Amino acid sequence: MNYMKCKKCGEKAVIKMRQHKLALCKPHFLEWIPEQTERFIKKYAMFSRHEKILVAVSGGKDSLSLWDVLWRLGYSVDGVYIHLGVDGGVNYSAVSEKYAAEFAHSRALGLQVVNVPQIYGATVPELAESTSRGQGRACSVCGLVKRHIMNQVAYDGNYQVLVTGHNLDDEAAALFGNTITWSTEMLQRQGVVLKEAPGFARKTKPFCRFYERETAAYALLSGIPYIYDECPFSIGSKSLYYKDVLNRLEEENPGIKLNFYLGFLRARECGFIPQKDVSPERYAQRCPICNQPTTTDGLCSFCRLVSRE
Amino acid sequence: MYGILEEGMPITMILRKQEFIIEKETTVQQALKQIGVSPESHFALRNGELLTEDERLRDGDVVRVIAVISGGQAK
Repeated sequence: MNYMKCKKCGEKAVIKMRQHKLALCKPHFLEWIPEQTERFIKKYAMFSRHEKILVAVSGGKDSLSLWDVLWRLGYSVDGVYIHLGVDGGVNYSAVSEKYAAEFAHSRALGLQVVNVPQIYGATVPELAESTSRGQGRACSVCGLVKRHIMNQVAYDGNYQVLVTGHNLDDEAAALFGNTITWSTEMLQRQGVVLKEAPGFARKTKPFCRFYERETAAYALLSGIPYIYDECPFSIGSKSLYYKDVLNRLEEENPGIKLNFYLGFLRARECGFIPQKDVSPERYAQRCPICNQPTTTDGLCSFCRLVSRE
Repeated sequence: MYGILEEGMPITMILRKQEFIIEKETTVQQALKQIGVSPESHFALRNGELLTEDERLRDGDVVRVIAVISGGQAK
């Protein structure tokens, strides 16, 4: 019978990664993802086995697969789940929390849950509606809330490293959006590793070179249950639109997404795009409420948001 | 859960509870394009088995289609 064969063993392949000209069977794909992750961790000097790592989990395929891979590789990784109070008619936050909690329980891993509505008295969609910043832009407010809480949990728990499950499609879509608008400030922030600074843990993205279909395949083939639905607020978002545009290009030009992103990383390395200034001088002020570093006098953006100033 | 029904029946693609009928035998790649989704962002599973895009679908196959895209800003 004719079928695509695994490049390593000749058995029936379950996935072909056209950008690498590589087809693999299930067992070899499940080996390949951790091997490559380890390679990226070393290549970009993300972290070592002596460091305490916090992974931000959403209940989706990327973050749960990342947690699984880092755990299998022997890293010391705890999780944080941020309950945002998103319902969208599908009880989105509650369902995704369940997946995160079940994953942690099944592997006896530590998971800290931060419940935004319980702590701050409003869901993220409500916070977005209550401010001019968030009108019709729930994703922007959501990003601010998640960044603040992840940083706080990392700081309070003495984690040296905060990792997120961003995949190559996420990074390429963000890069595409930042490039066509020449958002130089955003381009400066977009790296594989954002160095630690006073009050900030180091931030890294170990899955940043995997296509989204590869992280989904890893979750499916590993039997990791995850929430299939997109966040209800992401539907119609620019990031999904950019992903679609890039996938259309990828269909006819295998590898174009990867080359777009890797070319950007090389340009950063050459100094074409200066890295984000995280010098202590820039973050000299501390927020009087949360004590997190801030670039402005008075409350930080998050505390202004939750205090509805 | 999903698999081969019987000869002479069309191919059924199921995406988010919606069913699409493919009348003629074809590849996974072509079937995904016929229902209007990108093979770059969707998987096909038959009997729970992940299929490569060149895999041939046969009459009576019932194929589950899974979108791999997640969205929103700042995970």
